[in-house]
Amino acid sequence: MIKRILIVDDSPVSIKILKSCIPKDRGYEFFDAADGRHGVEAFRRIRPELTFMDLTMPVMNGFDALQEIIGIDEGAIVVVATADVQVRAIARAHELGAFSVLRKPPRKDNVAAVIDQVEAALKERG
Amino acid sequence: MQTDAPKTMITAEETDILQEIMNIAFGRAASDLGEYIDIFVILSVPYVRLLKSSDLPPYISAEIKDYDDISLVEQRFWGKFKGAAFLVFPSDAGKKILSLLDGSEEYLESDPISELVKETFREVSNILIGACIGKIAELLGDVITYSPPRVVMDRCQQSFISENIFDDDSLAIVLRTVFEFNEKNVNGFLFIVTSEESFAWLKTALHNFLDQYDL
Repeated sequence: MIKRILIVDDSPVSIKILKSCIPKDRGYEFFDAADGRHGVEAFRRIRPELTFMDLTMPVMNGFDALQEIIGIDEGAIVVVATADVQVRAIARAHELGAFSVLRKPPRKDNVAAVIDQVEAALKERG
Repeated sequence: MQTDAPKTMITAEETDILQEIMNIAFGRAASDLGEYIDIFVILSVPYVRLLKSSDLPPYISAEIKDYDDISLVEQRFWGKFKGAAFLVFPSDAGKKILSLLDGSEEYLESDPISELVKETFREVSNILIGACIGKIAELLGDVITYSPPRVVMDRCQQSFISENIFDDDSLAIVLRTVFEFNEKNVNGFLFIVTSEESFAWLKTALHNFLDQYDL
């Protein structure tokens, strides 16, 4: 079950928009980080059940951060939330272990569907 | 060349929204280009800046200072969002991009390289600028018309922007993104400049964009 959600994105507006699309009645605790490096540090510290990861960020991009997070915890659930909708970018995110890819700008129904998929995956793991 | 334009004309939050919209728009443009030629575009974080129009040419020159000679494509656009877009490449990029299109690495003396390269720039710009501006307009609820692209090849970088884009006293918002065509190690810049005339509409449109979310 999801308790903690980490959002890694360099845009404060983008973080607000994504948060606004997440169902509000489930008592999730939110954390955020402004680049990949801080995202990895936050992941290590918080161990969220779900991480949303932007790709195009300063300091450390989302691909590298995703790779590091999967290196820390192979079972980490990272949903890439990105404006980079190139086929190869999406394929690379999957290769690196992303759970799924969410296109920006996010929509409530898409985000809710992803969260339901994550909940189902966590339930299956037990 | 540093601007002393009033920063309050566009707030930090508006800058952030515009940056995010540019990010989404250029991501879509890169994807569209990838459907046309087999290419992966490495994207960077877009940058938004408010400048006096008279500071625009030196600003852009400073940004591309590493390029001696450049080729550029300029395209004007009109709607409530109105301005000009400049796609700038180092001079040697043309043949590299052309080879991505036709698969050749070498060309015969008789090949009309210059024309082919020019046409390549025109096509790439039509896709990148068209998709990017089109997506910005779509997200902000506008409809845009475009001028045909103007291609300028192999020019010294100091003197490339067509004169009098806007009145010298007016302000301009510059959206800048840097990108790299991975396979050919080609870097380029896209500058989108919108005039002061568009500011009032733009500010409202940015807030409308945000208002669709329950923040």
